[in-house]
Amino acid sequence: MSVQARPAIPRSWRPETKPHKFCPGCGHGLILKALGMAVDELDLQDRLIFACDIGCSLLAWDFFNIDSIHTHHGRTLPVLTGLKRVRPELIVVAYMGDGGAYAIGAQHLVNAAARNEFLTVIVANNSLYAMTGGQMAPTTLPGQKTETTPYGREVKAAGAPVLGPELVDSIAPTGAYIARGTVASMIQLKNFIKKALVHQIEGKGFSFVESLSTCPTNWRTNAAETWHFLEKEMSGYFKVGEIRQ
Amino acid sequence: MVANFEAIITENGKGIFHLFPALCKGCGLCIEKCPVDTIGWSRQLGFLGTPVVEPGHGKPCIACKKCELICPDCAILIERRK
Repeated sequence: MSVQARPAIPRSWRPETKPHKFCPGCGHGLILKALGMAVDELDLQDRLIFACDIGCSLLAWDFFNIDSIHTHHGRTLPVLTGLKRVRPELIVVAYMGDGGAYAIGAQHLVNAAARNEFLTVIVANNSLYAMTGGQMAPTTLPGQKTETTPYGREVKAAGAPVLGPELVDSIAPTGAYIARGTVASMIQLKNFIKKALVHQIEGKGFSFVESLSTCPTNWRTNAAETWHFLEKEMSGYFKVGEIRQ
Repeated sequence: MVANFEAIITENGKGIFHLFPALCKGCGLCIEKCPVDTIGWSRQLGFLGTPVVEPGHGKPCIACKKCELICPDCAILIERRK
């Protein structure tokens, strides 16, 4: 045995809080890994503010060695708006789930995008409400079984899934950066997050990255089925790529 | 404070496979993503009491580092054999 090896964790992670609080196979770990890698590459650790929202994303409150805020129900965006207006030299990142961003906190996302605030928003889309036990969320796929849609989501009764980046694209004025990544391709996701952070640093406007994420606990899937659902069914409905550069 | 994580080190193919049982939750995502199917379940247990993973089940490791990148808990570290 040679010199004691250290895990390849990003520098901006807080090692003493690891292993983190997410379930086995959770996509949050991967999205936050991509964010950590982007923060390391841009060397932003000491001037970044990380804000997490309600839902499983709040378990990231002690994830980074970065000043962190925790607010509820989409209000990360108004809180960060105030922070950014008072201290424009700071770089602010809002980390939300699909429930916090598209359902209960949708008004904050819509208004922050419409005002083209200098924020970076990262949304984890795992197609259901994970922390409360796997109920139907705005992003649940048609026919997907959840706790509240035991026969599968019916589009006629419950509407079609919300396409977050497309929604922001239709509202945000010129200058916004909008992309959708997936935890299945980590390098692409890291590059999207990095571009979003650079967009804010250069003062161009609102930057929004949605990432398709996994939830084996509430999807009730094993590893193979988890990848299948993410890469085939979710990526089939939610098109991955840059929507506006 | 710096946390210390001890690794189980296995040499296989082109890679030196480091697995940190104190980080591995046994989700199995790496087993599905390995292009040569070398990763499989081990008899060792991780901190949740679930089996951890080890190389040596399929073809030899090619040190592509896909498992290291895809691990949500950073429990895998691959070094290339010199």
